[in-house]
Amino acid sequence: MKLQLVRAWPALIALATLYICLAFAAPAFYAPDNLRDIALANVADLLVATGMTMVIVVGQIDISVGALFAVCGLICGTLAKLEEPRLLLPLAAAAAGTVLGAMNGALVSFVRVPSIVVTLATMVTWREALRWITNGAWIEGLPRTFQWFGLGQRSGEALIIVSALVLFAALWWASRNLSAVRAIYATGSDAEAARLAGIPTKLIVFWVFAVMGTLTGIAAMLNAVRFSDVPANSGINLELKAIAAVVVGGTPITGGRGDLVGTLIGVILMGSIGPALVYLGVSPHWEKAAQGAIILSAVLLDAIRRWRDRRVIFARSL
Amino acid sequence: MKTKIQHEAMLGVLIALEVALFSFTGRNFLSIDNFSECVRLSAEIGLLALALTPVLITGGIDLSVGSMMGFCAVVFGAMWHDAHFPIGIALLLTLVMGLLGGALNAVMIAHLDVSPLLVTLGTYSLFRGLADGITGGARSYSGLPAGFLYLGQGYLGGVVPTQTLILVPAIAAFWLLLHHSIVGRGLYAIGHSAEGARYAAVPVVRRLALVYLLSGLCSAIAGIVYVARLGQAKSDAGTGYELIAITTVVLGGTSITGGAGTIPGTLMGLAAIVLLQSGLRLSAWPAELAGISAGALLILTIVLQRLVRPQTIQPYAANAKPRPRMTVAARLVTVACIAVVLIALIGNWVHRSRLVQTGAETNAAGKRRVTIGVMPKSKGDPYFISCRTGAEKAAASLNVDMIWDGPTSLDASKQNEVIEGWITRRVDAISAAVENAASISTVLRKARAQGIKVVAWDADAQPDARDYFINQATNQAIGYTLLDEAARVVHEKGEFAIITGALTAANQNLWISFIKERLTKYPNMKLVSIRPSDDDRDKAFSEAQTISKVHPGVSVMIVISAPAVPGAAEAVKQYGRKDLVVIGLSLPNLCKPYVHDGEIEAVVLWNTENLGYLAVSAPAALVRGTFPVGKPAFDGGILGTLKIEGSEIILGAPMIFRKDNIDAFDF
Repeated sequence: MKLQLVRAWPALIALATLYICLAFAAPAFYAPDNLRDIALANVADLLVATGMTMVIVVGQIDISVGALFAVCGLICGTLAKLEEPRLLLPLAAAAAGTVLGAMNGALVSFVRVPSIVVTLATMVTWREALRWITNGAWIEGLPRTFQWFGLGQRSGEALIIVSALVLFAALWWASRNLSAVRAIYATGSDAEAARLAGIPTKLIVFWVFAVMGTLTGIAAMLNAVRFSDVPANSGINLELKAIAAVVVGGTPITGGRGDLVGTLIGVILMGSIGPALVYLGVSPHWEKAAQGAIILSAVLLDAIRRWRDRRVIFARSL
Repeated sequence: MKTKIQHEAMLGVLIALEVALFSFTGRNFLSIDNFSECVRLSAEIGLLALALTPVLITGGIDLSVGSMMGFCAVVFGAMWHDAHFPIGIALLLTLVMGLLGGALNAVMIAHLDVSPLLVTLGTYSLFRGLADGITGGARSYSGLPAGFLYLGQGYLGGVVPTQTLILVPAIAAFWLLLHHSIVGRGLYAIGHSAEGARYAAVPVVRRLALVYLLSGLCSAIAGIVYVARLGQAKSDAGTGYELIAITTVVLGGTSITGGAGTIPGTLMGLAAIVLLQSGLRLSAWPAELAGISAGALLILTIVLQRLVRPQTIQPYAANAKPRPRMTVAARLVTVACIAVVLIALIGNWVHRSRLVQTGAETNAAGKRRVTIGVMPKSKGDPYFISCRTGAEKAAASLNVDMIWDGPTSLDASKQNEVIEGWITRRVDAISAAVENAASISTVLRKARAQGIKVVAWDADAQPDARDYFINQATNQAIGYTLLDEAARVVHEKGEFAIITGALTAANQNLWISFIKERLTKYPNMKLVSIRPSDDDRDKAFSEAQTISKVHPGVSVMIVISAPAVPGAAEAVKQYGRKDLVVIGLSLPNLCKPYVHDGEIEAVVLWNTENLGYLAVSAPAALVRGTFPVGKPAFDGGILGTLKIEGSEIILGAPMIFRKDNIDAFDF
């Protein structure tokens, strides 16, 4: 376990550097208001990145999450517009996400289509279908009970952050202690060995995608209730943000290893860069380049670390 | 061998089916014109797909190709325009730049053994980010010499697009590399098992480096071809191309896990996708279907592959037990293909002769159905959706067949493709909201040369590329009105910030430049920050939050992207700041609640439904010959009499929606 956390050190160092720089150059960044806003803006990213960590650990990838996010958000909005009971919203969002995720999972695990192909196809299909059906129209005029679950802003914000963190903590605990979740790691590191050890690897892969969908649905719902209407195309580039956060957090893309705490660090780092650059007065034109550079340097540091390991262990030199 | 034939036969059937279907539904689908347009449009995607085929065969992936195109386009433009290099040297240096970018990927993937998905995900952001950074997102380089533009827009012998000169040698080179060289066999071996290949004395690291270098080089060439086709170099060149290219390669039968794939397969995949796109366009079916069906096709081909193919392929089984070159099934399929194409050709001929007859009949009756292609800048934008309502009204009342099609997001190159399709389809008039004047004008001129009436609306093309421009409000009027409103609210002093759409959006950048120009009138006002929202409400929300914290002195935000205005207003609302207001350019319906609550002081816009109405009624009048050419006024039907200034039809000054009048409008 210790070893896995160590993999997040490049991200941790980058995060510490960034926050120390901010403490000197722009102490206003530490205002509680600002930290709360950043947390709220990244709730969705955290949940999606959590699911993505599991997908990557099991040796797969899911690039359809942004599209699923948009679909689930719209389902939430449509239900709210029909004045369905409040409690139904989270359930419906989670259920819709699970079904969509399960479709990915079925194609990947039972039909054996590579996950990047499946999710590339479903990403395009859902996005275009949404555009076709909604014609880009937003869902407006939602009842007052929609925003913040009708609880008012302060308690609504608290509820969103707390429920995301509780969900994250539960999954983190499960990823370390439940044998069903440990089976994900076994499948990811060597599917054949895992199968021989009696793990139903196909079912595991299927469920990882289904849960990825559930988390995306919940994330979409938690994000939607921060506003008073639902736009037709949300979650643009969410998949890239989530994958970047996971990878920067030290989970190797090759699967079998990875820790959710690393992902949390990755999400905080990637979510802080944008606002931090504004506080530091960097021109917005260089933001994308900065993000690319950070991903690459995390990747490079990881490569160097592995290169050292290899010299020590004297393993395969390819 | 068997599986290869089966897959390619399957693609052959698919292509034959597409040809058969579209030759019935699409106008002029089976024509030389359409064929050469398809070749032209497949050049860039084709180059990327060719380069990605060996990459995928080795079990790798390269997501950075589209971004590389944008980066190379900008580098080329900057070297030619800013550094004053001769065009040949600039071209050469751009290719070197492509190689360097490829080398960056190659070093990290081949030498440092980092996962290709990760590395190219990083360089995907990095290259695009560099391109944005170099140009500030806004600059684009145009006015390139005609000799260079010939590369992307010319025809050899009047028929064959110039791109063939690049595409064909590239095909030949990759075909030789993969199928007739030791290097190529090595790539397959690496894809099957890199470790095994190493033991078989394949220099794995060097081979891997080679495929990523080639991929960088091809992306650079594709970037240059793209620049030549559009006539301008901008940092958003090739956005999203990586996905189409990968789809093409995988559809062509290349295994995403490596070890299998052919160049002919990739070419067939390319043909399937390009024919699908062009067929949908010529049939005037929604372009969204292209994405959906490409996704479905991709899954379907792989599922079929899995069903047909045994689970584990024995790579050398073919050698051990020689099979006939073609199985019975493959032969049957080939015959079926030929039969389908023949039926299609005959059917098409019958269909056409009928079309000509019905056309003659309606002509005799004196009233010809007029077909007008109307193009928004982006189909998903609420602003253009409300224009569409007006356009549909006009089409219904004027008895016009309207085709409403355009890019699904802001994309100058897609606009060209749609218009090329319309020219091939022989519409009577084209009415286009121009995303980028420099890049669209060539194709609009081509349309005019073929007798198609051209009207620009929302944003203008170059004056000689259109008959009329519907001027809803000048960019200057918009910029000035926005700042005037802001100045009024803050009593002409204080700090303000701007939230724009994408940093590369041409219109928004023009408005910003006019806002800055107007600023000289208000010496006590200061622009402290310009932030992008990428036309995403959630991002606009976060940006507005950050601005109000970093610049607490800001008392007014000018937001100039329709979906971003409610986002920024929501941020102000959640902050509960009464001393901060939003001035927006957006649709009244999206903003109503915030205008009543007081977060939005004013929304500046023209009547979008009327604009959409005029975008149909003006070209319809032109085609029917009822347009008052040379007169100073145009009878706009339900819009009343409109002024004509030169070749511009004036819709009126921008409207300002405030608390007191916003409820009177519903769009």
